[in-house]
Amino acid sequence: MNSPLESAALFYIGPVAITQAIVMTWVIMAVLVIGAYLLTRRLSLHPSKRQVALELLVDTLDTQIRETTGAAPAPYRGFIGTLFVFILVANWSSLIPGVEPPTAKLETDAALAALVFFSVIWFGVRGAGVGGYLRSFAMPNPVMIPLNMLESVTRVFSMFVRLFGNVMSGVFVIGIVASLAGLLVPIPLMALDLLTGLVQAYIFAVLAMVFIAATVEEGAHGPADPDPETSLQKKDS
Amino acid sequence: MNFDFWGLGLQALNAVILIWLLSRVFWRPVAAAITRRQAAAQTLLGDAKATQDKADAALAELTAARAGIAAERDKVLAEAKDAALAIKADAQSEAHAQAETIMAAARSDMAREADTARETMNAQAGELAVDIARKLLGELPGEAVQAAFLQKLTDAIGDLPAQDRAALVAAKRVDLMCPADPSADAKTEITSAVQQALGEAVVLNFVTDPALIAGYELRSDHFVLHNSWQADLAAILKEMRHAD
Repeated sequence: MNSPLESAALFYIGPVAITQAIVMTWVIMAVLVIGAYLLTRRLSLHPSKRQVALELLVDTLDTQIRETTGAAPAPYRGFIGTLFVFILVANWSSLIPGVEPPTAKLETDAALAALVFFSVIWFGVRGAGVGGYLRSFAMPNPVMIPLNMLESVTRVFSMFVRLFGNVMSGVFVIGIVASLAGLLVPIPLMALDLLTGLVQAYIFAVLAMVFIAATVEEGAHGPADPDPETSLQKKDS
Repeated sequence: MNFDFWGLGLQALNAVILIWLLSRVFWRPVAAAITRRQAAAQTLLGDAKATQDKADAALAELTAARAGIAAERDKVLAEAKDAALAIKADAQSEAHAQAETIMAAARSDMAREADTARETMNAQAGELAVDIARKLLGELPGEAVQAAFLQKLTDAIGDLPAQDRAALVAAKRVDLMCPADPSADAKTEITSAVQQALGEAVVLNFVTDPALIAGYELRSDHFVLHNSWQADLAAILKEMRHAD
């Protein structure tokens, strides 16, 4: 068994090594985009069951965003929703024999964490202005500036490590068990891996939303009145 | 362990592209569909609210109209009741007047019939009295009765005022009415008694009239001295009529 920290290049495009994770990412992207296109072709005022299911998904996401940020969900829907859907599909792709999920690789999780890092800056500046975004580092008082700056990096780093660790460990454990005990024994672990994949996708998306909401709120109005659910999620992070 | 920064950048680029694509082909269309449906639902609710308001207004208008109809109905009923009472009163008064007229006519007819019946009865009573008197007279001695009537005649002549006696004496013709033709002696006796009562000599013309029943009467052109049962019965009948 190869080291989960190693990624073998399938081929190269210039200096860029194209690994299985990247190819799998492209496949997932194609499936999601084509599937989304097919599913949303015929939306009408008299919805079918399919449309109702899609609207339920989007409405649930909007409700989650609204309850977490207290703001309109439209600016965050695409980013947060896509993060959740991509990570979920990527995590569950491990169920396909021979497929290693992209989220089990350092580069993918790091890229997602980096996107969260930059999205916090983007949404913070767009929501509260440059001054407001910078002022969010001085919350609750200027003494906290170095710690807040360090936190802005470490929190996304923790997201990256958490996602990578959970998914990679699940794949690694299933691979070890499968190599030792045959095909049927890893099934409970694979079911557990399904749950883990769902939970990790949810945690990653919710934390990204919390970080963005906290930055926008603190930049606009000062220290936010912590919502119990949000505080709990922050504590988990 | 090796970390591929080219791979990190490519995956980040992939994620950005995926976010952009899904926003275009999934999140925005579905969110727009939700918004359209919510707007349609709001429109339907608004239309329903407007329809309900219109229905409420129509109901209120109908209720007011019904109240007006009820008031008008009460007014019409009251007017009809008053008119009916007036018609009833008129009919009652007219019926009362007609009844009074009928009763008055009936009373008049009854009175007339009673008068007619009474006159008939009086006439019958008179006839009956005459028949009774005749039968009674038939049982009495005729000479004695006539003698009594002759005495009554002379007394009556004696009671006459002198003026009437003088008029009687001056009359050209004096009839002495008898119920039956008297004998010559009776005529002489009667003539003598009358002349004695008058105090003058008069010529008596004896006339037989069975209707007198009994008694003698003196009659001239301008004078009558009743002294018979016929006259007495007529006087009694007259008194009876007056008594009624």
